[in-house]
Amino acid sequence: MTETSYLNDVRKPVDTANGLPNAHYVDQTVFEEERQSLLFSQWAGLAVAADVPEVGDAKPIDFLGMPLLLVRDRDEKVRVYQNICRHRGMILVEEPRKIEGAIRCPYHSWCYGLDGRLVSTPHVGGPGQNVHEAIDKKQLGLIEVRSHIWMDVVFVNIDGQAADFDDIHADLIKRWSEFDQPLYHGGADSYFSLDVKTNWKLAVENYCESYHLPWVHPGLNSYSRLEDHYNIELAGKYSGQGTYVYRQLRGVNEEVFPDFENLSEQWDEGAEYVAVYPNVLLGVQRDHTFAIILEPKSLDRTVEHIHLYYSQPKTDEGMRAKNAQLWKTVFEEDVFVVEGMQRGRNAVGFDGGRFSPVMDSPTHCFHDWCAERILEDRSAKQAAE
Amino acid sequence: MSHDLDQRLLEAHARDDRMALVQLYKDASSVSNSEDAKYFYLTHAYIFALDTGHPMASELHALLKAAGRES
Repeated sequence: MTETSYLNDVRKPVDTANGLPNAHYVDQTVFEEERQSLLFSQWAGLAVAADVPEVGDAKPIDFLGMPLLLVRDRDEKVRVYQNICRHRGMILVEEPRKIEGAIRCPYHSWCYGLDGRLVSTPHVGGPGQNVHEAIDKKQLGLIEVRSHIWMDVVFVNIDGQAADFDDIHADLIKRWSEFDQPLYHGGADSYFSLDVKTNWKLAVENYCESYHLPWVHPGLNSYSRLEDHYNIELAGKYSGQGTYVYRQLRGVNEEVFPDFENLSEQWDEGAEYVAVYPNVLLGVQRDHTFAIILEPKSLDRTVEHIHLYYSQPKTDEGMRAKNAQLWKTVFEEDVFVVEGMQRGRNAVGFDGGRFSPVMDSPTHCFHDWCAERILEDRSAKQAAE
Repeated sequence: MSHDLDQRLLEAHARDDRMALVQLYKDASSVSNSEDAKYFYLTHAYIFALDTGHPMASELHALLKAAGRES
């Protein structure tokens, strides 16, 4: 086997393909390679815009070792910067907080506007002399990271080289165009996180397919059987699953969440759950949506950030809490699976496994996407050598 | 700088009262004997005004800029 031949096996049709082998889950070198090939060079999910709801809100985020700063500027635009001063590379903001005026470096007090401009460089030319001909403030603003917001998710392209988000995800944006309307985060009670001992890709793989539903989520069997689901997949783009029998949450008086406006009949009982490669899992239903940002903490640890959204800014608190608990229960049921598969990747010689040609194609679609990206980067690296 | 002003500056730093530091450093600037000391303190007043979004920020900036100390 050459260095890359096994990736060609991953890229075979689903009925003959193998999954990504162990190294992609347990080898630190491969993890670092994938950080570049699958995350930094793509549009990766970083946070949600609701994390910085007001002007001046700033949230530092360590993304795979990269110190980033999420802010909402004076024009209410959400921006992402490298969270470092252009002077000595000091971390600018340590904790989430409101920036009342400027972002002031705690080291030598260089000050930046929320728009990233370097505003002042105190004493840079000596005591009380705040300018120097060698320091061109126009060239020393905060380094902005390319970002794009869709479904309230803040996606970032760290290396700045990816095609535009709207072009890459044009098919999915069109598929879900009916949900292109205001989404209102339910607030503190509509966010929870799960700290899971797994490689981030296994969370994607599990989310993509409905095969596991009757076994891992038996509570769904009474109303949402396996045959009520369908695969969603577009090679090289996205994959997931849909259901024909979405049932709205009902309160004690049969109340429901208000629907999104002008949805077609498809969504009366339909719902779809899609993995936006690499690390964002989205779900859309007639009365709420959710976004899961998978934060890869390390090779075998992932924090899942789950955010729930509604069609109206004000919804019933008790209903929101009930809905959040419902989803938390479902996602917690998946934890033993993704952790079990992670531990399973330590079995020497495991070949990545074989897929159900019928039920696993959304997962295979994701593996194929990963393998293609990695092959491209390895080929480019070899060509450069 | 008077002992009293110095003490109030130290206390404001100790409680991280950056809004108060704006005026205190401006006061320190106004009683300084040398040009460098004057603009050193005025710079601090300006930086803490920037930091806190203090309404005096533009006034302090104008003073520094007029003296060729800020752009």
